[in-house]
Amino acid sequence: MFWEKEFETLRRKDLEKLQVDRLKKTINQAMESPFYKELYAAKGITAERISDVKDIRELPFTTKQDLRNHFPYGFLTQPKKEIIRLHSSSGTTGNPTVIFHNRHDIASWANLMARSLFCAGIRDTDVFQNICGYGLFTGGLGFQYGIERLGCLSIPAGAGNSLRQIKLMRDYGTTAIHAIPSYLGRLYEVFQAEGLDPRKDTDLRIFVIGAEPHTEEQRRRIEEMFGVKAYNSFGLSEMNGPGVAFECTEQAGLHIWEDAYLIEILDPETLEPVPDGEFGELVMTTLDRQAMPLIRYRTRDLTRIIPEPCACGRTHARIDRIAGRSDDMFIIKGCNVFPMQVEGVLLRIPEVGSDYRITLEEINGADEMIVEVEVKKDWFNGDIARLEKLTRVITSQIRDEVLAKPIVRLVEPGAIPKGKGKAVRVIDKRKQIATQIQTT
Amino acid sequence: MAYQVSIFLENKPGHFERVTGVLKANGINIRSMTLTHTVSGWGILNLLVDQPEKACEALTKAGLSAALRKVLAFGMEDHPGGLDDILMKVSHAGVNILNAYGRIISKNEQALLLIDVDDYDQALATLAAEDLYPLEDHLVYGN
Repeated sequence: MFWEKEFETLRRKDLEKLQVDRLKKTINQAMESPFYKELYAAKGITAERISDVKDIRELPFTTKQDLRNHFPYGFLTQPKKEIIRLHSSSGTTGNPTVIFHNRHDIASWANLMARSLFCAGIRDTDVFQNICGYGLFTGGLGFQYGIERLGCLSIPAGAGNSLRQIKLMRDYGTTAIHAIPSYLGRLYEVFQAEGLDPRKDTDLRIFVIGAEPHTEEQRRRIEEMFGVKAYNSFGLSEMNGPGVAFECTEQAGLHIWEDAYLIEILDPETLEPVPDGEFGELVMTTLDRQAMPLIRYRTRDLTRIIPEPCACGRTHARIDRIAGRSDDMFIIKGCNVFPMQVEGVLLRIPEVGSDYRITLEEINGADEMIVEVEVKKDWFNGDIARLEKLTRVITSQIRDEVLAKPIVRLVEPGAIPKGKGKAVRVIDKRKQIATQIQTT
Repeated sequence: MAYQVSIFLENKPGHFERVTGVLKANGINIRSMTLTHTVSGWGILNLLVDQPEKACEALTKAGLSAALRKVLAFGMEDHPGGLDDILMKVSHAGVNILNAYGRIISKNEQALLLIDVDDYDQALATLAAEDLYPLEDHLVYGN
C-alpha cells in the first residue's frame, strides 16, 4: 500500500535518473540566489557538469554557518512576493537559521508528510492529534499540512496540558498521535493518575515519535504502555522539517525520500563517502525545493544506510536511527541546543562568569537540562534575594534563547572543572539515549 | 561598624567543614553564626568572628565566595524580654529584618543581637531616632 506507488517503488536506476534531472534543475534554481550565484561563479560550476549522481561530489558543501552568514535573504532564489512562509530557529545570540517556502514548496512538503504518514499505516479514516508546538517550530504546521493532505481528521492540539490532551483523545476518539518520545512517559503517568488505561480507555493505535533521539527499548516501552505501534520520524528544519525520512510498518529503519533529497553519507573528518552500511555524517541536497534550495548541506547527524532492500517494497534507501552528532549540538525537550547558545546568554549577564556546565538528566520521568553557573567572588555580597533573582534571570534568558526551560543551579567558584574540549561542558546522563556528545 | 562574613555554600557534605577548616588554620575564633539554605541546593553561611577582615581574606584565598557584610549589632539585657525590648524599637522604626542571630557576651552578662537589613545606613539613622545605637566593635567581636 503506497501513497505514490510510481515514486515510492521506482527502480533504483530510474530513481537515479530522476535525481540527476532534479539536481540539474536545483543547481540552476540555486544560482538565482546571491549565495550560490557567487559561490558557483567563482568555482565555474554549472548544471551541465552533472551527468551522474556521483558528480555531486564536485560541488562545495553548504553549512549552518553559511545560512547564518547570509541571513536573512542570501539563499532566496525568488522575490519575496513568491514566498508564503518561513520557519526559523530562535537564535537570539546569533543570526537564526531561517528557511523560506513558496507555494510549490509547501505543497511538496505536505505531500512528503502525507506519504510518510501513509507509509506508517495512517489512513484518512484516522483521527490525528498533533501534540507538538505550532509556530516557528516545524513539527506543528509541518505535520498539520501532512495530516490534512492525507485526509485525516486533524486535531491541532499543540504541546503540553496533558489533562486536556487526554480529554481531546477521549472526546473525539483519537487514533493517531505525534509527540516527542520524552513527553509520552509523562502523559502515561497522567493517564494513571486519572485512573485511566490508554489501552482500554482510548482508541489509540499509531504513534509517530521524533524530533529527539530515542532507543529501540524506549520505543517498545511506549508501545507497551499505550498498546500502539510507534514509528520513528526524522527531519530537520533546513530540509523542511518532518517528512524527510520515516519508518514503514516493517519498523526497520527510516525510508528517506530520495526523489526529494539526494543523500550522501560521508566521513566527517575526510568528507569522503563511507561504504554503504557504515556510519558517517548525513549530507543532503534538496531536489524539489524552489524558494530556497540547499546543496550538499552538512546536517551533522551521524547515521548509516541500511543496504538491504526493505520488505515493504519501497526502493528508497533506509537510514538507521541517528547515532549522534559530528558537532556538539544536543536535543532536550524536542529543542535543538548548542552549548554556544547557553554560553552566549551567560556572557551577556555581567554577574556571572563564562564558566558553565550543562547536565542532561532524567528527573521524575522528564528530561531536564541543568545549567550550573559559578557565583563570582567579586559580585557576591551575602544577599540571598540577589542570588535568587539572578537565578530567575538566567533561567528566563536561557529559556528565551533555546526554547527549553533549564534548571539553573548556582555553584561555588571552582566547582566546574576547567578543561579543554566541549565534552567538559555537556554531560548527558540520560540513560535511554545512545548519543555520545562528540569531542571535535 | 560591625561586619559579618557571608559565604556562599553549596548544600553538599563537607562544604561547611571546608570553611571551618580555613578558619581553624588561620586561628580565627567564631563568636556566632547562622546557616540558611534555599530549595535550589545552595545557602549562605553568616559568621561573626573575632577577625572579620582576616577571615574573609583567608576564605577568598581558599577559593570561596566570601564577602564582608555590614550588620547592626545591639546590646541587650540577658534576661526574659531582653530581645523584645529591642525588637519593639526596630518594629516601631519600620526596619525590616532579613536575618537575625545573637550571642552571649560572657564577661558582663550581656547579650548581643545581630541583624541584617536591606539598607544599613537608613536603618542606622531610623534606629538612632528610637535611641538605639550599635555596640562598639570590640564588644561585638570580643570575648
